[in-house]
Amino acid sequence: MALPKRIIKETERLMAEPVPGINAVPHEDNLRYFDVSIHGPAQSPYEGGIFRLELFLPDDYPMTPPKIRFLTKIYHPNIDRLGRICLDTTGPPALQIRTILLSIQALLGAPNPDDPLANDVAQRWKDDEPAAIQTAKEWTRTHAMT
Amino acid sequence: MNEDLEHRPAKRQRFFVDSSVSSPDSVAGIGHASLPRHCPGLDDRETEQHGSTNLPETPSKGSAAACGLTSPIDGLSSESPRGDATEHPLTASRLQNGTIQPATSQAAVHPTTKSPLSNGFDVDLFTSIIGETLPTESLQLIQSASSNNVERAVNIFFDGSWKKPAKTNFGRGTPTIRQVLPASTPSAISNTLSTSKTQENSAEHVSVLRKQPAARYIGAFGVGGWATRSGLALLKHGDPVNIERARSQPVAKRGRGGKLFTNNRGDVLTRFTNASGQEIGRLPHETAEWVSTLIDQKMCQFEGVCVFIPDRVRVNDTIYLQLKCYLRKEAFQRGPFIGTVDDNRSMGLFEEKESAEEKNLRLRQVALVKLFHEINLQPTSTNPTTEKHKRDGLLRAAEMAEQYDGVKKENERVKSNKDPNDSSSEEDTAELEEDQLDTLYRKAQSFDFSMSVAEPAATFKMNLRKYQKQALFWMLSKEKDKKEARERSMHPLWEEYTWPTKDVDDKELPSVEGIDHFYVNPYSGDLSVDFPAQEQHCLGGILADEMGLGKTIEMLSLIHSHKSEPPPGASDGMNSVNDLARVPTSYAGVVPAPYTTLVVAPTSLLSQWESEALKASEPGSMRTLLYYGADKSVNLRELCCAANYANAPHVIVTSYGVVLSEFRQFASQSLTIPAAHGGLFSVEFFRVILDEAHMIKNRRSKSARACYEMQAIHRWVLTGTPIVNRLEDLFSLVRFLKVEPWSNFSFWKTFITVPFENKEFVRALNVVQSVLEPLVLRRTKTMKTPEGEPLVPLPKRTVTIEEVELSEQEREIYDCIYTRAKRTYNDNVEAGTLLKSYSTIFAQLLRLRQTCCHPILTRNKDIVADEEIAAAALDATNGLTDDMDLQELINRFTASTENAETEDRSIKFTAHALRQIQTESSGECPICCEEPMIDPAVTACWHSACKKCLEDFVRHQMNKGVMARCFSCRADVDARDIFEVVKHPLSHSATPMEDFAGSDTPLAGSQPAPRISLRRINPLSPSAHTSAKIHALINHLSRVPPNTKSVVFSQFTSFLDLIGPQLSKMGISHLRLDGSMPQKARAAVLAEFTKTEEYTDEIIDTEDETPSRAGPSTSKSRNSEPSPSVLLISLRAGGVGLNLTVASNVFVMDPWWSFAIEAQAIDRVHRMGQLRDVSVTRFIVKDSIEGRMLRVQERKMNIAGSLGLRVGGDEGDDDKKKDRIEELRLLFE
Repeated sequence: MALPKRIIKETERLMAEPVPGINAVPHEDNLRYFDVSIHGPAQSPYEGGIFRLELFLPDDYPMTPPKIRFLTKIYHPNIDRLGRICLDTTGPPALQIRTILLSIQALLGAPNPDDPLANDVAQRWKDDEPAAIQTAKEWTRTHAMT
Repeated sequence: MNEDLEHRPAKRQRFFVDSSVSSPDSVAGIGHASLPRHCPGLDDRETEQHGSTNLPETPSKGSAAACGLTSPIDGLSSESPRGDATEHPLTASRLQNGTIQPATSQAAVHPTTKSPLSNGFDVDLFTSIIGETLPTESLQLIQSASSNNVERAVNIFFDGSWKKPAKTNFGRGTPTIRQVLPASTPSAISNTLSTSKTQENSAEHVSVLRKQPAARYIGAFGVGGWATRSGLALLKHGDPVNIERARSQPVAKRGRGGKLFTNNRGDVLTRFTNASGQEIGRLPHETAEWVSTLIDQKMCQFEGVCVFIPDRVRVNDTIYLQLKCYLRKEAFQRGPFIGTVDDNRSMGLFEEKESAEEKNLRLRQVALVKLFHEINLQPTSTNPTTEKHKRDGLLRAAEMAEQYDGVKKENERVKSNKDPNDSSSEEDTAELEEDQLDTLYRKAQSFDFSMSVAEPAATFKMNLRKYQKQALFWMLSKEKDKKEARERSMHPLWEEYTWPTKDVDDKELPSVEGIDHFYVNPYSGDLSVDFPAQEQHCLGGILADEMGLGKTIEMLSLIHSHKSEPPPGASDGMNSVNDLARVPTSYAGVVPAPYTTLVVAPTSLLSQWESEALKASEPGSMRTLLYYGADKSVNLRELCCAANYANAPHVIVTSYGVVLSEFRQFASQSLTIPAAHGGLFSVEFFRVILDEAHMIKNRRSKSARACYEMQAIHRWVLTGTPIVNRLEDLFSLVRFLKVEPWSNFSFWKTFITVPFENKEFVRALNVVQSVLEPLVLRRTKTMKTPEGEPLVPLPKRTVTIEEVELSEQEREIYDCIYTRAKRTYNDNVEAGTLLKSYSTIFAQLLRLRQTCCHPILTRNKDIVADEEIAAAALDATNGLTDDMDLQELINRFTASTENAETEDRSIKFTAHALRQIQTESSGECPICCEEPMIDPAVTACWHSACKKCLEDFVRHQMNKGVMARCFSCRADVDARDIFEVVKHPLSHSATPMEDFAGSDTPLAGSQPAPRISLRRINPLSPSAHTSAKIHALINHLSRVPPNTKSVVFSQFTSFLDLIGPQLSKMGISHLRLDGSMPQKARAAVLAEFTKTEEYTDEIIDTEDETPSRAGPSTSKSRNSEPSPSVLLISLRAGGVGLNLTVASNVFVMDPWWSFAIEAQAIDRVHRMGQLRDVSVTRFIVKDSIEGRMLRVQERKMNIAGSLGLRVGGDEGDDDKKKDRIEELRLLFE
């Protein structure tokens, strides 16, 4: 199937003008499948870590948003154990891969326990934020810095 | 048919074989000569005269036989008293072998002159001939009466006229005609004519017809009569019998074979009696039918001789007779055409019902044709084309007419009346039809390329092409046509016959000096001894050149080239004007208008005629008058009269409507004060021209009648389609032209309509051809000169069919309506009621066709109106409309920001966003990344994307069952509030820009930003919806070559109503022309549309016939206000006449049932004067009824032949039905 113009354009742009701290590379055999890595934002519990994600553009992209999942284990109230992300910004088609990844990066910098996906993490975050942050840092060190 | 006819003589021949000496084989060919040979006894008249009863084989007595003298006596019409006898010799004459000598000489001579016997008069011969010795006295009388001519003397002797008191009345007491063989001595013979009326009649004509006998032998035939009485020796072989017509019984309903006409025609009984007046029997019905007519109408006399009779006769036995037939002088004395009399009859003439007179005419015609067939008399000269199928056709035509009158109610079409072969031949004729029509038109179009040319008068300023000069030559020759100059050709309907020189017994018949031939019109039953020359009183004709060949120009050249000159002395110059000399003295109150040509044209063409007339003429050489509406307050009587040469208009242009209304007025006034009226009917024009003359194709229409009544020396008819639907269309033209005898409808009907309806195509069309040939000049665009050049080098015409795909919504509606229509169709097919519900189905078909154009066309108008109101109300609440001007929106929001400060942030944003749109809409689509966006569209939250992407996204969300949100801001999106961003090309923004200038928007002031409007994709108001076709049209219009104009045809004016606003939205300026507009408005529209001819003045000037067009005004008009480039026109209003050669693109929005109509519309553009290639686009919705209509069109084309002239209407009812069913089948299956 021919690749829609939008995907081609987005891919080209991602290559040509990469976003600092974000790296997205399509698979050679499936241009709809991207290997993504996001650097944990500075001054966040995830600083220093490099988080790997997979991103898949469904057939009806951009009508349907991309499917994105953290491959690297991460302790975050809006990301569940399987790496799925609660991101209401994945919705409108006007958002491109680049913007979505940026917003994920932003999410790392500003967890939002009021709109949780991983309930236990969110609860912990609310009850004892420093402890939760500590755990996050630990997880980052063990999983994202190798 | 033919076969059958040929059989009949053969059958009859068998009667005589037994007694015959000669072989039966000789019969077939020349009946009148050979037939009687089988009955040798028949003409041994001299034996009968002497009361002898010789058997047939017995040699006749005396040498009298050599002369073959027979002396039949006319039956007495009444008990003619002896006292009258003195008068009788004048009229009475004597039958002698079919010749009755004129009585004149006797009357003049016999009482007085006496000359010596010796003077070259062979008394011995005379005596031997008459077989009797006469006293000298008698001889002298006879001799002087006969001017020493033995032959005549013999005649005189036998007719008894020499004997003054010799009148003997055979008092048989019947007032009707009898023809009796002489049964007594010659001296007892007296002849009187059957009725005193004809007696007077012939008395009047005696001097004129000096050479013509009162009755002349033309042939004999055999017939088997049947006995009405029984007895012994009633009659013997060779006995003479009298053929009598008597009405002894009330109307006889008998009749064999269930012949219908017996019932309503009354009695046709024809009896034969023996010498003593006893009725022996009757002629068989088939024979009696026509014999009775011939006797009753005094056409013929019959002499009978018994050929075979059984010794013992019983009722209903067959008695074989031989009848000799003599044409009576009276038969020739009628006017050549009853039609000439008929012509002035009231309009009642055109009723379906035939008058008694017409009926008689018809009966006579049939009888004559049958007679000629029976005696097997063949014309010696005839029109070869009419010859072939003539007789049977004639008979059948008459029978058809028979069925018409009276029997109509009887459903059963009496097949027995028709030839048994008919059913089989029907197929043949059906096949023939196409060929025949082709032949007809080919003939009518067989234009002689070597025809001479005529140069137009110097005052005519255009250059004519060669064929146009030929037309001028032809027209001039038609107008100046003098009778003398014409070669004498026989009228095509007449046939020439030679009088037989030998009778049945091969005896010489006396010939009449100077009269060897007689002429018969088998179509009317008229007889004549004078040569019927083909006459044509009509000093005009039918100019039927195909559309676009320049009929108007040709006519104008004629107007210039043939006009009456002014009288040398202004006072009494009338007679010196050649043409006026021929003016028939017209009825009171009509004055000649010798300089004026009246042009009657459809309203839409009036101004065109006027301007063309001026354009074609040297300045000052042409005065025109538009006689229409308020402009007709002039008194034509005064204006156009002969004395007013200096001021009389050369051309008056008027409409059919005016003619009609004036005719009404005139008809009501004329009785009282004819002269007071100054209108069209108060003058006799030099020339009348009917343009688009198929306007009067219905002879019963009031317009047609009004046109007939117009007075003019020259009458012309212009039409591209002389035959629109039926052959009778042509009649109306001929009637207008006053072409005798065709302008008589009963004549026309009998010889053209009836045979045609009875599938006698060959014959009917042959006749039509003979009518058309001298009258019509027709050239087609497809004609090639002998050198292979096209007649008119018109630019190319490319017709493309553009398949249009319906939008989903439209398709749904279409499918729904189609399913319904198809169900109706299927139901009716099953029930076999297809034709009954034809109109229902047709209505549904109409819906379907409308749906293809625009679904709204099929909807209830009230509901649509309600929706419009609702939509308007909704718009009023949310401040959005179906169509918004972006700049205005911006202004609005900017204004409110300024006023209300920052009170409402969203407003501020909106103002910003809207400005954004102006730039953004040319950017990248946020959904598909196309740059620039394809058909940008915006949401109500003012986010732009490609229209398709936006729609896709909205649909995508709907399908998922979620509320539609903006692709960008995720605000709720109402699917109705999605707007297309439409940029209007700068060139058309003149008007809106002015608006901008009024508002003090910096944007508008500083830079000429393109006007942008936001338009709802799915407008709330139903009529604002575009449709697939409109969309396609707009697409095409935006792609037409620059500086070309386009004409858009649709048959639905309501569709034009929808197209118009859509074009306006796109900034495409356009005009509109339809049938509902008054003439002035139409003229204005045409003028405006044609105005920009000046765009391309340079090009046109090189070829156009009118080189003088104002140069300076060109640039001015171009810059100031370009004339609209699109004309929306209804197929019907635009079908005729109009000249739209300014345009070179044609768009036909919807197909019509016959392509001919579309072609006609296309030809408005693709006609003479067109200098560019013409591209025609026909929009056809894919997979729809329209595609099937194309198939129906193809079918029609095949039927009508290749000429685009349709004659479908003249098919029989059955065929029409078959056609319809076939068409429906094409449409639904």
